[in-house]
Amino acid sequence: MKILEYEAKKVLGESGIRIPKSVLVRSPEELEASLPSLPDNLVLKAQVDVGGRGKAGGILMTGKADAVKTAKELFSREIKHVPVKEVLVEERLTITHEYYLSVAVDRSTKRALILFADAGGVEIETVAKENPGAVRRASLPLIMNDVPQFMVRDLLGNAPKELGPVINQLYHVFLKKDALLAEINPLVTTPEGVVAADAKLIVDDNALKRQGITVNRDLTDREREAERHGFSYVELDGTIGVIGNGAGLTMSTLDLIEYYGGKAANFLDVGGGAEQERVKNAVLLVASVPSVKAIVVNLLGGITRCDEVAKGIISAGISQPVIVRLAGTNEAEGRKLLSDKGYQMPDTMEQVVKAAVEMTR
Amino acid sequence: MIFGDKKTGLIVTGATGNQGAFHIALMNEYAKSVGGRGVVAGVTPGKAGQEVHGVPVYNSVRDAMKEHDASASVLFVPGFAAGDSIMESASAGLSLVVAITEHIPVHDTMKAISFAKMNDCAVIGPNCPGLLSPGEIKMGIMPAQLFKKGHIGVISRSGTLTYEIVDELTRAGLGQSTVVGIGGDPVIGQTFTDVLARFSEDKETKAVVIIGEVGGALEEEGAKSAEIPIVAYIAGISAPPEKRMGHAGAIIEGGEGDARSKIERLKAMGVPVASRPSEVPRLIHNLI
Repeated sequence: MKILEYEAKKVLGESGIRIPKSVLVRSPEELEASLPSLPDNLVLKAQVDVGGRGKAGGILMTGKADAVKTAKELFSREIKHVPVKEVLVEERLTITHEYYLSVAVDRSTKRALILFADAGGVEIETVAKENPGAVRRASLPLIMNDVPQFMVRDLLGNAPKELGPVINQLYHVFLKKDALLAEINPLVTTPEGVVAADAKLIVDDNALKRQGITVNRDLTDREREAERHGFSYVELDGTIGVIGNGAGLTMSTLDLIEYYGGKAANFLDVGGGAEQERVKNAVLLVASVPSVKAIVVNLLGGITRCDEVAKGIISAGISQPVIVRLAGTNEAEGRKLLSDKGYQMPDTMEQVVKAAVEMTR
Repeated sequence: MIFGDKKTGLIVTGATGNQGAFHIALMNEYAKSVGGRGVVAGVTPGKAGQEVHGVPVYNSVRDAMKEHDASASVLFVPGFAAGDSIMESASAGLSLVVAITEHIPVHDTMKAISFAKMNDCAVIGPNCPGLLSPGEIKMGIMPAQLFKKGHIGVISRSGTLTYEIVDELTRAGLGQSTVVGIGGDPVIGQTFTDVLARFSEDKETKAVVIIGEVGGALEEEGAKSAEIPIVAYIAGISAPPEKRMGHAGAIIEGGEGDARSKIERLKAMGVPVASRPSEVPRLIHNLI
């Protein structure tokens, strides 16, 4: 789950990294109330989880005198269709140089990948492309508690030594917060010292519980409801609802729909143990999407009980057609239950998908 | 075959849970049908002295190994404790851990894999269905009835999609030497590269199917290293970016790891790529 900038900065601040003086406000009136304690030059930053926030008009420079007016303007905006509900009001820094620093999970090496670049404030992919010599990297197994000093020196190159401690501090944040990514871009030098001018933190969804996070904000309402049932669910924009067991098989079913010229409305992985109630909930959830014209059920597995699946589909009693591919134990019973009710049951996943695509054409 | 055979003794950790107990029974049913040893002991802390389907349960892997000859464990321990359990198996001297568990925090996985490596222990998974060598051994949860002994190796990041493709192979008369589910998490122990290296040393295996999906670059890294003929299938060509497609590792991030570019890179290396699961047998026939 992505953590908003102000929360990420709070985490950095607690681990000893210097962050800009700031106040979080939820309305222009709140800003007015805190004006006396603020410096003269300010930056207002919309707390929305969208990429390219600055270019989309989510960051405004202002002075103390115009701050309330600027805040009114920002609160009235939508940044890439996301309404602004919280604004981080920060001191405007006197920046002498911008750098880039991140610690991320590296899938290939199974270690932490630390990246440092002499150029910050732009996306690291862009820096890597345009000026590869400016990006330095180090790879560290997570059983290490600290970044070794030689690694800090290698990462910094000719950059000022005062940046060094931040590398270890950010690595500690990465470890402590179960982060997939901890990023400071830009990390800036100012006359007052080194400051994290922006911050990004992505927490592992499988560690939210031990991080004390109860609601995954990255999910839509329907995706969250699916999560409560223990389903993996993704919303797409087509007309065919897809229920499968196993992520790979379900993804492959979506691909086949595209291959035959159709478009999937969603992805629902019902997971293991597809008993009646689970299947019923899955069918009801997918059928509740207004754009769904037909539903493909593709369940394969040695231990899936087909009679349970059949009962689940029948008891959901939805209006859209459901085309079913079933393979597993009690297959004959399951097939009989469904065929008695007039359900289409082709043998292979290709036939199921073709039937659904034709139906929605 | 690779990783194990009839003579391999298995320990199941998380033996007394629903999943653990259920699959001990199925693994031993399979072992019986092929004349193998199967699961010789179970482990659940605090449950020593119990039995699960006739298999004795111990408090620790170390205790189990005092009484039984085993070289691998199959892990059904819940996510929050699974990293610890991988390290326990590695520390006790097992040479292989097959981690079935889903939802292990990725930092736990990374630490456990580092620790296992220091103890010369290979990790398959996590978030995987395990492996099956038809006629020899089943370590995990794969449905044995779809498999047939033969000379095709399979390596997959998926579970049920693997069964789908194994079913296609079996129907086309192409039996399997070993089928390995390496797991759907972003960080996994044995990768395509590692398993392909084992297959290229295995005289039973003539060609390998790699079943990949969106996210990361393990498929391309594996293909580059392969010293044995391979064909590939990549799931997720219709997957939108920045959305986790069921598996924690199945996500296109920062414009990287999408199916189309994976397929292009594989084809550029000369790897035949199936556009549908049902095409895999034909591509294999073309190869051997």
